[in-house]
Amino acid sequence: MLTLLIFLPILFGFIIVVLPSSMRASFKYITLLATLLQLAISIYIYLNFKTGVAFGGIDHETQFQFLQKLPWIHLNLGSLGTMQIDYFVGIDGISVTLLLMTSIVMVVAALSSWEITSNLKGFFALFLLLDMALIGVFCSLDFFLFYIFYELMLLPLYFLIGMWGGARREYAAIKFFLYTLFGSVFMLLVMIGLYLSVKDPATGNHTFNMIQMMNPANYTPGSIFNILSHQTIFGISARIVGFVVLFVAFAIKVPIVPLHTWLPDAHVEAPTPVSIILAGILLKIGGYGIIRICIGIFPEVATSGAFWLGLLGVISILYGAFNALAQRDFKRIIAYSSVSQMGFVLLGIASQTTEGISGAVFQMVSHGFLSAMLFFLVGVVYNRVHDRDIYNFRGLGTLMPKYMVFIMIAFFASLGLPGFSTFIAEAFSLTGAFKSALLPNWLAICGAVGILFSACYFLWTLQRMFFGSVSLKGGDTWRAALVDLKPREIIALIPLALTALALGVMPSLVFDKINDSVLALVSFTKTFIR
Amino acid sequence: MHDLLPYIHGSISNLLGSVQFFMPEIWLSALFIIVLITDLLFGKNSQKLCKTVACVGILLICILDLGQRDFIKQSSEENIPLFLFNNSLLLTRAAVNFKFIIDLLAFVLLLYADWDHKLRAHKKGLSDLYTIIIASIFGLHLMTMAVNLLSIYLSIEMVSLASYLLVAYRSENAFSTEAGLKYVLFGAAASAIMLYGISLLYGFTGSLDLFDGNFVQGLTQANGMAVSFALVLVLLGIGFKLSFIPMHFWVPDVYEGASTPVTAYLSTLPKIAGFALLINFLTPFIFSVRWSAFDFKLFLSIVGIATMIAGNFAAVLQTNVKRMLAYSSIGHTGFVLMAIITFNQQGITALTWYLLVYSIANIGALVLASYFANVTGAEDMEGYKGLGLRYTTASVCFVIILISLTGLPITAGFTGKVFVFSAVYGVYQQNHDLWLLLLMITGALTTVVSLFYYLKIPLNLFIKRLEIVKEPVSKSYNLLFLATIISVLLILLGIFPDFVINYL
Repeated sequence: MLTLLIFLPILFGFIIVVLPSSMRASFKYITLLATLLQLAISIYIYLNFKTGVAFGGIDHETQFQFLQKLPWIHLNLGSLGTMQIDYFVGIDGISVTLLLMTSIVMVVAALSSWEITSNLKGFFALFLLLDMALIGVFCSLDFFLFYIFYELMLLPLYFLIGMWGGARREYAAIKFFLYTLFGSVFMLLVMIGLYLSVKDPATGNHTFNMIQMMNPANYTPGSIFNILSHQTIFGISARIVGFVVLFVAFAIKVPIVPLHTWLPDAHVEAPTPVSIILAGILLKIGGYGIIRICIGIFPEVATSGAFWLGLLGVISILYGAFNALAQRDFKRIIAYSSVSQMGFVLLGIASQTTEGISGAVFQMVSHGFLSAMLFFLVGVVYNRVHDRDIYNFRGLGTLMPKYMVFIMIAFFASLGLPGFSTFIAEAFSLTGAFKSALLPNWLAICGAVGILFSACYFLWTLQRMFFGSVSLKGGDTWRAALVDLKPREIIALIPLALTALALGVMPSLVFDKINDSVLALVSFTKTFIR
Repeated sequence: MHDLLPYIHGSISNLLGSVQFFMPEIWLSALFIIVLITDLLFGKNSQKLCKTVACVGILLICILDLGQRDFIKQSSEENIPLFLFNNSLLLTRAAVNFKFIIDLLAFVLLLYADWDHKLRAHKKGLSDLYTIIIASIFGLHLMTMAVNLLSIYLSIEMVSLASYLLVAYRSENAFSTEAGLKYVLFGAAASAIMLYGISLLYGFTGSLDLFDGNFVQGLTQANGMAVSFALVLVLLGIGFKLSFIPMHFWVPDVYEGASTPVTAYLSTLPKIAGFALLINFLTPFIFSVRWSAFDFKLFLSIVGIATMIAGNFAAVLQTNVKRMLAYSSIGHTGFVLMAIITFNQQGITALTWYLLVYSIANIGALVLASYFANVTGAEDMEGYKGLGLRYTTASVCFVIILISLTGLPITAGFTGKVFVFSAVYGVYQQNHDLWLLLLMITGALTTVVSLFYYLKIPLNLFIKRLEIVKEPVSKSYNLLFLATIISVLLILLGIFPDFVINYL
């Protein structure tokens, strides 16, 4: 089932590649069909996902669902045994909601790809390749497989930003690529170190299996990452080094201040569908990686370093918010608001309480929908007049009333108005941070202040752009160009708005699925505290 | 004279006994003569014929190489090393693998040579080129097996002479001539240095045979400084073939000046054989317990780190595609040195695999450089601007090949990196040598750097736009076909490396 979900997009991608260019008008429909099929499968998976203590997942292989495990690369290394790499996919509560979120956002991104006009074959083939990699990351349970999907995202994104982006697209694309690769090559080193430290108890081979890596009993005595052997690298405990390297790799993705500088550039230059994917899904891979890999494999380091994680989270919240206040490019505001909101994810994770981690996962899901919605909305204005400077617009509310409605929903949902999803997510993250014994209370208070600032920049933007009398930089040509939302755009926006509302009213849609996994994760990390 | 008489019988039977293990090389020399005679008999029209003969011949030799695996299996079961011709050659598993890889790549290169329009335009024709390449392959075969100082020197010289001829083959412009001359001068100096080192080593031990028990023992008894000096000289001589720092100065000019197929030859085959030779040369020292006069590990670590850094950072500044690939190949040498330092079977397997993958990808990159030079006349990255959408297949292949050279999934280059890293890590886990850690960190860092310059080509192909697109000068389907096969192969090897690597 998962295999089908992962490789369905690439199948359609092949169809697009082999079709002649004369059929280019059909490519967008093929892509939409692929994403819709994917959505149908993930809804099926979501509905059939079993909950209960027996399906917690995290560190128990048997508790994962929709498992599939095939031997993939088995190298005979002579005296060192066999190198065991499996095609190993499966999901637990943490991945299932993100999977559904990804599928929905991909449909929206496909719908917003209507704006792309040049070189359609390349765009949609890369789009579907990216789709495959994204789904693959959330499903992989083998570190090698995870890494392959993780890296496979970079190349399509590079070209998607670089070929269909804005004026400074070359700079933005290469910056994004180098930043991420910098994180991930060192991740490769840690991954190999872990692989050489861990033995699969069933076969006795070294393995890349992430779940086996979580069990301290599987580490060979004396190996680098064995908890008991206290190895050091440059005088620092090897496990701390391993954690930090992995954390940096994922923190670049999230992005966490001060590793966030690629994000505004990439967002501003990327075309709308790519912005949606970047903000909606890619950032979540960072958060997902921290939960699944950093905390899963090095829980005791995460616990002892919880303060620093929380501090970084709070810095991201505040710094992102301040930066958003200072911008005049509409898209940059949204980009920095992403930095700010993803800070809550890190804060929630750092608390290592049930509330905090639930809040973090919830925030990822909710931000996935909302940021997709926000970037879609920015794209609407940009496509009509090719300008995004806030001060060039005034009184858009009277000009585009339907657009205004969606903007209001997206803004109020994002700033944490009760009744919308972000409220629940931020409330849970902050509760976790207050409750956690690992974090001082002032961190949580600072985080709460961040919500206030997010209200400031959203409301201020609303006031500047949408209220007042109509006054546009482009005069009457802009006024003619700025028509209200088209049916296609409304179709794309309605599900996002509805999910934001639905998750706010019925958070159990997410919490029911993730609860057992979060409990399992928390109790798993507790066992490491001695 | 009379003293030698009793030994003659033994020597002759040793020679005759060795012949059966020397069949690929004997057939290679036969092939050399056949190609040479074909060229003579058919004169000006012999080009096509020579090519066919050479290609078919080299494929047959590949099959003979595969046949030698049985000897290896037998000798490892009986635990008798296969020394040939009075201990001047040693047939090992690694040597057979290297020979097979060399022959296979040589086949591709022979195919590719006359598809490059500039080289084909040469007025003397390419028949001589095929002859020279076959002769050099003979030398390369010897290099992979040489374990005697004399055979080491002879084989290196044989390859060098052939390479000089190849580089200067197309000498119609001053730049190419300069490159050829530079190469000869550097090569001559390097071989003189090496010969000096060899004579010192012979002086210390009275033996030329590396695996002779007296050799290493003699060196341990001699003055440590002097021995280190002599060893460094020999390593520098080998380093000329591998082009590691500080023996890399010739590389950029020669790679740029030589015609592209010759560059493809130089950047792959002598490098593979050079590493095989380095392994042969180091083995007796590594397995000698008492050896402590010269720390090969330290020397090679420092050289490896310096080579990776210098090669990769210099490549960033280049604008000519071939020059960039030249510097990047220096960087790759540094990376492979990392695998040698493990000194174990896993390291050698990783090294073989990495070299194979690197060579395929590098040949692919140069094939495409030829293609673009043929079709549009572009040699600089500037000239590639905006070509991506016009020559889509070639450009997509270029991206795949460069991604493989960088070492990103899902190409074979990634698996190569993983295997080398895990081999080094395995050793690091046992001895916690700081140098190994530094090597790995440098390797990871320079990967990021390499991405930056490799991506310049896709950047120019796809992302930079050019309003005026020139009409194609000529078409070149053969090269496109070859590049496509190489790219598909790189992806297949990336997904299923175990099909091949389990045989290494």
